Amino acid sequence: MASLDSIDWDGLAARSRREKRRRNGLIITFLGLISIPIILPFFWAIVISFSARTGGVESDVLWRACAVLVPCALAYAVIHSLLTGLRHRAIAGIALTAVAGVGLFILIGEELHLDNYRFLVNPNLIEDIRGAATAGGQFPWVWEAFGNSLLVAATSTAMKVTVATLAGYYISRFAFRGRSVFLQSLLILEVFHPWMLTIPIFLVIFWIGLLNTLSGPILVLTAIDLPFYIFIMKGFFDAVPWDIEMSAMTDGASRRQAFWMVVLPQARAGIIAIAVLAFIKGWEEYIFVTALRTGNSYWVMSTYLYYVAEDVMGVDYGLVAAVSVFYMMPSLLLYLFLQKYLTQLTLGGVKG
Amino acid sequence: MTSSASFRQASTALVFLGPACAFLLAMLVAPILVDLVVAFTDMSQTVKIDNFTTEQFRKLVRPSEEAWLGFELRGSFYRALSLTVVFVFLTLSIFNITFGLILALTTTALPDKLGAFFRAVWLLPRMAPSVVYGLLWIWVIDPTERGLLNQILVNVFGMAPVNMILHHPMTVIVMANGFIGASIGMLILTSAIRSIPQHLFFAARADGAGSLSVIRHVVLPALRWPLSYITVFQTLALLVSFEYIFLIMGPSRSTMTMAMLAYTKTLAPQIGSGQYAYGAAITLILIVIGMGTALLLWRLTNMKTLLAKPRIEVH
Repeated sequence: MASLDSIDWDGLAARSRREKRRRNGLIITFLGLISIPIILPFFWAIVISFSARTGGVESDVLWRACAVLVPCALAYAVIHSLLTGLRHRAIAGIALTAVAGVGLFILIGEELHLDNYRFLVNPNLIEDIRGAATAGGQFPWVWEAFGNSLLVAATSTAMKVTVATLAGYYISRFAFRGRSVFLQSLLILEVFHPWMLTIPIFLVIFWIGLLNTLSGPILVLTAIDLPFYIFIMKGFFDAVPWDIEMSAMTDGASRRQAFWMVVLPQARAGIIAIAVLAFIKGWEEYIFVTALRTGNSYWVMSTYLYYVAEDVMGVDYGLVAAVSVFYMMPSLLLYLFLQKYLTQLTLGGVKG
Repeated sequence: MTSSASFRQASTALVFLGPACAFLLAMLVAPILVDLVVAFTDMSQTVKIDNFTTEQFRKLVRPSEEAWLGFELRGSFYRALSLTVVFVFLTLSIFNITFGLILALTTTALPDKLGAFFRAVWLLPRMAPSVVYGLLWIWVIDPTERGLLNQILVNVFGMAPVNMILHHPMTVIVMANGFIGASIGMLILTSAIRSIPQHLFFAARADGAGSLSVIRHVVLPALRWPLSYITVFQTLALLVSFEYIFLIMGPSRSTMTMAMLAYTKTLAPQIGSGQYAYGAAITLILIVIGMGTALLLWRLTNMKTLLAKPRIEVH
């Protein structure tokens, strides 16, 4: 048996580091390859929106952009694994970004333009493109659809967050008669997605007279996944220590004051997380906006893009791509900046 | 208990629980009950109930002497049912579970930031609005040589252009739904893997386990409940989802699953023909399946934690 001194610890550590680097390299290559089908179409849409001229869809520019960006990304990956210092990596990153910028400018700089985004300033663009046939304006200005979408998404988010927070707090903290029955029925209701109930929901909305309004989709959106959100909030409130609330009440706060001033701020992360999810859901809504006939009287972004695509698809791909990019920006920005809150979500009540 | 205390208790319950109850009753419970009634009527475009009948179900099945249970499925419904089964099974097994698991395992094996980057990439389809996502699919699989897929097939692999919509409709909807479904599995499983105590990994390593045996003997046993949860929940979600199918394929017969059938026969823009009772009958079948799923879900839920009694008794 070899004595401890005769073992080459440094060699072993180096071998293990090499192993780890090799394994990480393999995983990154694998993930990179399977992520191509996701990244490429989104990147394509962005490239088209900034480069397409009237006429067919071009992917020439896309390939040229990829010819610059892919080598730069690979080079950065190599440098990143070779250099360990934070400063070196930063310098390499800046240098490669500059190289990519110059490369892009030389290869596709001339093709780039903002012409496709003229729909943002021209209220009658679609009619202009399609000729005088629909003069009088079948399509509204995009900002009208934008405003309606914002209204639907923001209102449904506010309602959903309020309802779920109140209910989540109550079932987390209060013992009331029928609590277990309520929780179990909530569990059952969790499986009924409103998509399943599109037809009866349409009938209910019809009977209460909210077809053709923005309120119809807002009400339905509030109910989508509501049991799920209530369970999430219950989980966040369960994690807030009892003592905080107890000491607030010892200091003379009422139960509601303790909730509002002491417990609620502790559950801030949960509230932000469900608000982001709810907003993204409301922003993209298409099914209920059309099913509840809201589209007859109000334009929202989803129907706007849908009909713009249908009407000018063969004529002007660049415009459709530009509208798509404009439409998905709010969701993506919100998601990018607040994703650290989303990763904190866990499932309430699942056996672990 | 004094009456003012019980009044305060009731008003607190009303303030906190009232809104949730109102929404759940109006938007989930009431529609389920409405569906139960409408499925047995002849409601159509006029949205009036004239008489009660089982006619809708006779459109789905017809009595037959020889068949098992005494009735057999009619052509269009049989087709919808088998398409649904194929669609749900393929999407679930390939993407929602297998891909979700692979993504969770690989991204958690990487350093935190890189893992988070790839998870963000895979969440992109879910975060992008559905109409945009559908549109991107339509462009990518465009049957002419302009489509991104065909460009790659022709230029990189030297193959002939493919018309996916015509020849491989099922592949299209399985992949389109799968890219979105994989992210849910990925997120749930990632947080499950994170919650495995680190010392188990160290112990396994110290006992000489390699990466694969760590996955097999430490990670997978911990994922048993989350995986069952994903299976049950995503089966149901896929069963009733039609948004992406409709946006990409339109009312094409080749991808007319049950949820699509109900939607196109009733409310789909421009093509829905308002056969509400017929749609309600199909919905009723989905509701029954949902009830079954709820019972399964019951078994997967840790009732003891869920129903743990709160400890403060001040109102």
